Amino acid sequence: MAPELRGSASSHRAVETLAAKLRRRQVVGSRAAALETVLVLRQVVSKARFSNLEQLVSIIRSAGRTLVEAQPKEHSVGNTVRKVLHHVREEYHTATRETTKPSFSIAKFVSQGQPRKQATGAARTEIKGILKDYDTSDPDAFAKMLKPVLMEAIQYVLDELETVYDNVAKNAKDHIHSDEIILTLGKSRTVEEFLITAAHNRNYTVIVAETALRKYEGREMAKSLSSAGISTFLVPDSSIFALMSRVNKVILGAHAILANGGMFAITGSQIAATAARAHSTPVVVCVGQFKITPLWNLYHEYGALDFGNPSDVLRFDEGNLVDKVDVVNPYYDYVRPELIDAFITNDGDHPPSSIYRLLKETYDDEDTEL
Amino acid sequence: MDSVVTLRPPDKASALARFDIYPAYLRRLDDEQISTPLAAILALTELIENSNADTMFELVKALNDGAEELKRRASNPISLNAGCELFTAFVTLFPHDSANFADLKRELVRQGQKYAVEALTYRRKIAELAVGFIKDGSVILTHSYSRVVMQTLLLAHERKRISVFVTEARPRGLGIKTAEALTAAGIPSTVILDSAVAYVMEKVDFVLVGSEAVVESGGLINAVGSNQMAIIARAANKPFYALAESYKFHRLFPLSQYDLPSHHSKILSFPRPETATSLAKDEHGKKPSVRITQEQISENNPDVDYTRPDLISLVFSDVGSLTPEGVSQYLVGMFAG
Repeated sequence: MAPELRGSASSHRAVETLAAKLRRRQVVGSRAAALETVLVLRQVVSKARFSNLEQLVSIIRSAGRTLVEAQPKEHSVGNTVRKVLHHVREEYHTATRETTKPSFSIAKFVSQGQPRKQATGAARTEIKGILKDYDTSDPDAFAKMLKPVLMEAIQYVLDELETVYDNVAKNAKDHIHSDEIILTLGKSRTVEEFLITAAHNRNYTVIVAETALRKYEGREMAKSLSSAGISTFLVPDSSIFALMSRVNKVILGAHAILANGGMFAITGSQIAATAARAHSTPVVVCVGQFKITPLWNLYHEYGALDFGNPSDVLRFDEGNLVDKVDVVNPYYDYVRPELIDAFITNDGDHPPSSIYRLLKETYDDEDTEL
Repeated sequence: MDSVVTLRPPDKASALARFDIYPAYLRRLDDEQISTPLAAILALTELIENSNADTMFELVKALNDGAEELKRRASNPISLNAGCELFTAFVTLFPHDSANFADLKRELVRQGQKYAVEALTYRRKIAELAVGFIKDGSVILTHSYSRVVMQTLLLAHERKRISVFVTEARPRGLGIKTAEALTAAGIPSTVILDSAVAYVMEKVDFVLVGSEAVVESGGLINAVGSNQMAIIARAANKPFYALAESYKFHRLFPLSQYDLPSHHSKILSFPRPETATSLAKDEHGKKPSVRITQEQISENNPDVDYTRPDLISLVFSDVGSLTPEGVSQYLVGMFAG
């Protein structure tokens, strides 16, 4: 495709390098993957040569497609690409508003509401002069005028990613009361920051389930929480239901949030959420908004879950059982939206039923399939 | 659809003959592909063509009168209502800077016709969206006959293996039409009794139905039997999906089944008790038997029912996949504020 080749060779290489890293799972963690993606996209956009919006969009899309195909289970990569595309389109429309008149039709009326609402939105750009597509005298004029604004937009996405933990933990003390008993699972950086921030103002207890199948990462979480001065109990996964009657709140992390308000979270989350529902205990999920995925039907696919190493469950030297038994070690659980009470994100708290609204605001419909 | 629009000059005597909107509406319905809300919108555009209103106020009044007329005479007013309200709201809010009212009328008619053409592509769009939820080897349960569901199933059949159970949907029996069309297309399908829905529910992967209207609460108005199916699907933990084009979103908020505009006093009424004389024993001392006919049964039973939003898993529409709560967002955007 011509637009792809117009990007310089080095940005193409950056995409390939990141794709290789993702394929080999050398990038660990959703936030790390998202950060690397933004940096690569920044390179791609700065080196890209384009003379209209469609070319730029297809350049970004093809880079995004390569990255997503390298690691389709890491949804934050695709989400970041979609977010950048959304910002690109927004900046473009703000900049060219003087030249184009919005047309109104019944279909637009249905999808966008009443006409006067379409004309709102302050211009965030300082572009003076009117942007023209297809300026034949200087094919780079369009790109030159738009690039600084795009760089700003991408920087905005980067800043949001870098301050995720602080923003999620901002109102931690309002969510946890003194002398409460909180249950959590495994090790999530977001939840860890949240709990430690709350501990500055409140005295409470945390029960951590050790999540045996993930190399006991619950133990690291318990260690880090107790060194922050929080009174912590470490329990085996099997006692989650038994202890639930003593628990005031369940706080979980998530791997990805789906469009219907459900989520993929580490194995054990489904147990904790169901046990909490049986005891009418609130389930609260701390998560950055970059994890919200515009995909609706992933939960139908068994293969959408990632699978871990079966030898963590049943090692080869355990002899007789190994060839008589099929061992499956799913890495994530799908938790239904009915079991979750609220998502605490870096941009406010939301119930599962309004996740689709956040999606409509953050991403464009045409980017759902990259 | 012709794009050339002519307006009758207001001073001709023929224009004084009242434009009868109901036949225009029926004429539009002759086209198999046009659904009732679209036919209503097209009938209203014809009304604008034939109207001699000079101000927006008169035009809107004429539209409202036309809509009332259609509602009075049509047998199933709900989805028709949705179309009328959408078009009337659009006309009221249309930003116009032309001083010439005739130009504005022409533009409105053009917009209405353009929308009708575009709306015919919505079924395909919805089918593409819904096919993503249909896994290979799915067993699907559907109700009565719906063009949107037909397109979805035919599209799914091109790419995956599916099999379909269709309820008979008495008294109209439209389910048989669905099964015939599906079998002709090569999809394994069979008609089940309306009373056998609970019997078959365990074998089914999910339920897929069309819609007459989707209301503001997120609930569904569809052929009678849909509510039953949704309750049974919920009891058996199966997903219940509704397919609805966006012009079927309607600003109703029914609080119960009997709150629907289609409910009238004859439905579920008990027949008048016979007077003593007519039930007098005849000469052999036997009471005359009471005969209940199929027509009486059809008259006494509802055509549509209301399904609560908490029983519906997702609504697939041309504006995207929506949770039932998401529908009200569009309605508020159009009609409120």
